[in-house]
Amino acid sequence: MAHPAVAVLESALRARKLDRTLTTTLPSWEWTDPSSLLPTDIPLVDACLRGGLPRGQLSELTGACSSGRMTLLLQLMAAATRRGEIAALVDTLDCFDVASAAAAGVDLDRLLWIRGSDSGLGTRDSGTQHTRTQNVRSRNMESRIPDRESRIPSSVDRAIDRALKALNLVLQAGGFGIVAIDLADVPAVTLRQIPFTTWPRVQRVIEGSDTACVLVTPEPLARSAGGLTLSLTSRSTWAGMSDRSHVLQGIDLRVRVVSPRKRIDGDVRVRASM
Amino acid sequence: MFGALSTVEGAPSGVLEEVAREFSPRIEVCSPTEIVLDLDGLTRLFGEARTIAEELRRTAADRGLRVRVAIAGTRMAARLLVRYRAGLTIVEPGNEAAAVAPLPITLLDELSSNTSGIKGPHHRIKEPHHRTKDPHHRTKDQEPRTKDQIATFRHWGLRTLGDLAALPADDLAARLGRQQTDWQRLARGEDARPLVPAVPEERFEQSLDLEWPIEELEPLSFVLGRLMDRLEAHLEQRDRGAAVLHVRLHLIKRSNVQGQRSTDGTTREVHERSLQLPVAIRDARTLRMLALLDLESHPPPAAIDRVTVAVDPTPGRIVQFSLLTRPLPSPEQVATLMARLQALMGETRCGSPAMVDSWEPGAFAMKSFMPLDVNARHQRYDTQRYRDTENKSSSSLIHSLGASVPRPSTCARGALSTVEGRCVVEVNDASKLPVVALRRFRHPIPIRVQMKHGQPMSVSIMRRGLNGGVVDSCAGPWRTSGAWWESRTESRFPSPESRVPTPWDRDEWDVALAEGPTYRLFRERHSDKWFLEGVVD
Repeated sequence: MAHPAVAVLESALRARKLDRTLTTTLPSWEWTDPSSLLPTDIPLVDACLRGGLPRGQLSELTGACSSGRMTLLLQLMAAATRRGEIAALVDTLDCFDVASAAAAGVDLDRLLWIRGSDSGLGTRDSGTQHTRTQNVRSRNMESRIPDRESRIPSSVDRAIDRALKALNLVLQAGGFGIVAIDLADVPAVTLRQIPFTTWPRVQRVIEGSDTACVLVTPEPLARSAGGLTLSLTSRSTWAGMSDRSHVLQGIDLRVRVVSPRKRIDGDVRVRASM
Repeated sequence: MFGALSTVEGAPSGVLEEVAREFSPRIEVCSPTEIVLDLDGLTRLFGEARTIAEELRRTAADRGLRVRVAIAGTRMAARLLVRYRAGLTIVEPGNEAAAVAPLPITLLDELSSNTSGIKGPHHRIKEPHHRTKDPHHRTKDQEPRTKDQIATFRHWGLRTLGDLAALPADDLAARLGRQQTDWQRLARGEDARPLVPAVPEERFEQSLDLEWPIEELEPLSFVLGRLMDRLEAHLEQRDRGAAVLHVRLHLIKRSNVQGQRSTDGTTREVHERSLQLPVAIRDARTLRMLALLDLESHPPPAAIDRVTVAVDPTPGRIVQFSLLTRPLPSPEQVATLMARLQALMGETRCGSPAMVDSWEPGAFAMKSFMPLDVNARHQRYDTQRYRDTENKSSSSLIHSLGASVPRPSTCARGALSTVEGRCVVEVNDASKLPVVALRRFRHPIPIRVQMKHGQPMSVSIMRRGLNGGVVDSCAGPWRTSGAWWESRTESRFPSPESRVPTPWDRDEWDVALAEGPTYRLFRERHSDKWFLEGVVD
């Protein structure tokens, strides 16, 4: 039997919505209301998340390139649209593949796609050209590198700024089952420059609503106290022994539920096929 | 009491109706030259029936019309009399049969040939529908049949309506059918149906002249709000919604180009915007917001001194909510959201994605976002499914999914144990496996690829955030080509949403690097250059 002081402390934390931050990110089995969760319709993942992502909270899908973030996000959207809900995707750098969404089962008629601009991501070729110009202008190596570094994020900054405004508009409109913003291709340095007050503001907008807001980022950024952070890794699987028959079969996706204190609260592996 | 108004000669369109509407709101337009009025209650305004008739004729004369007027207790009697007798004809209530008795029987033929008032007994029930669709609509066999009936009556020696009315009804029905007795009712001046009043075409328009010209949109929002409130009240009164919203801004601009020169030497121009609304909307706040957002994108070039808003009306929406499904945002909310998003991101950057029937990699289309409720969606999908099965085979549907089509299908979906963490579950149900997504670059990224024995050995990517490296596994090449009949454009990779297909001829590879990421690459065959198409994510 727990000490009465501990019980009082836990109830006080729960009243201030701090219990899941300090204890576990996952909701308790007893208090879970199925209607307050957004399932992925992947039994393994839903079992790991104890029903799905919480509605009215800001959750995150994090991982490196090719970690399966978009695969899991499309599953969430497909599950939501199958239930008759509508979904929105703020595609910051315009990387959404419509064919993949259709293959995943997303009802495209019920998906609002807000396309950002992919012009913000320059290639190193263009950066090199810019560098040559700078080199003519100034032979100083130290002054050249910061110029190049500062030029590329500026257009990304504008794309992020517009994407966050669009996210805010969609969340304020209400009625969406899931609203996702894709920041997966944005450099981590640029993401850290976003004012942290942005995310509590987003959380305040969706609090109490049926909308689950999902951030797709390369690293944990800003989940709310009641939200979940899913850290994803994946490994591609191949079929066929000979070169001629060799074919990409899918990915083995590993989903970890990570607490703010880096503790692993859930860990599951699923297979995704081509 | 009914009055019939008929012009002696042709009158300008609508003038006769204007005259009639000055006396009664309940009028029926029988033909361009003949109108029937319901005169009930007018005696308290004008006096006796003769006074009303004289007032009608005087008002028409003021408009330059010479008219005949007949007033009777029934609509049919008034119509028959106005066709035969010039000047004013007044029939006391109850004397209609006697008044029309001396009229020639050919009047029935006239009424049936150029008006909708009489279609013969066979078509009496359908008259109102015919009137609303086309007042002069006639079935093919209707006119000959009426003429035949009149010819039969004349063959029997009947010359007047009184002769027809005097025939024994039973014998007439025995010879020509029971419905033919309706001719007798018409010949006695009795009405076959009540008057169907013509509803005047309403204009839903509000205007406001400003004392001082407005240059900014913020003060204009208050003016628009005031006008929209009035417009909403009018629409609600008539149970109508706006299908198209028109905003006309009269501008003051000191220039000598187009426009009307006003007295103070300025040139008046009109800045007009029309918004096609996705559904019938009559909410004033939504309409004002949509108009303002549109004007933000297309601002007027000069100060505004007169504002006019008008809508094309459409029947109001009937919304049935459900307790069993989550509520969707209302169409007003969606329209406002889309207008705001389009103002922020661009008009073509927001909407619902749609697949296109093409093999072109990454081809898609954008359409307006308008989610339907579940029932409507299922109904529409059933129709769509039927249409699809009619038009194309299932294989072509799969082909339209694009990039995965040329690749061999992967059928091996085995079980996988999950041991780590708290969940230990076996995956056996292959049908529920998620599908791997591709993160596609709209403009493929040029890369460098080193080949060994015909396969990629290493990849070098010139892009921030994407790592190259040694190839661990690869599959390919999957050769695809298409649109070779189209001319190659200047841009190597034009916008994917452009409707014009772009020629492509390439070899695709799936490549997993030793560092972890899995890419989709392709080599353009005509230029032998490599590009990164997307990331398997």
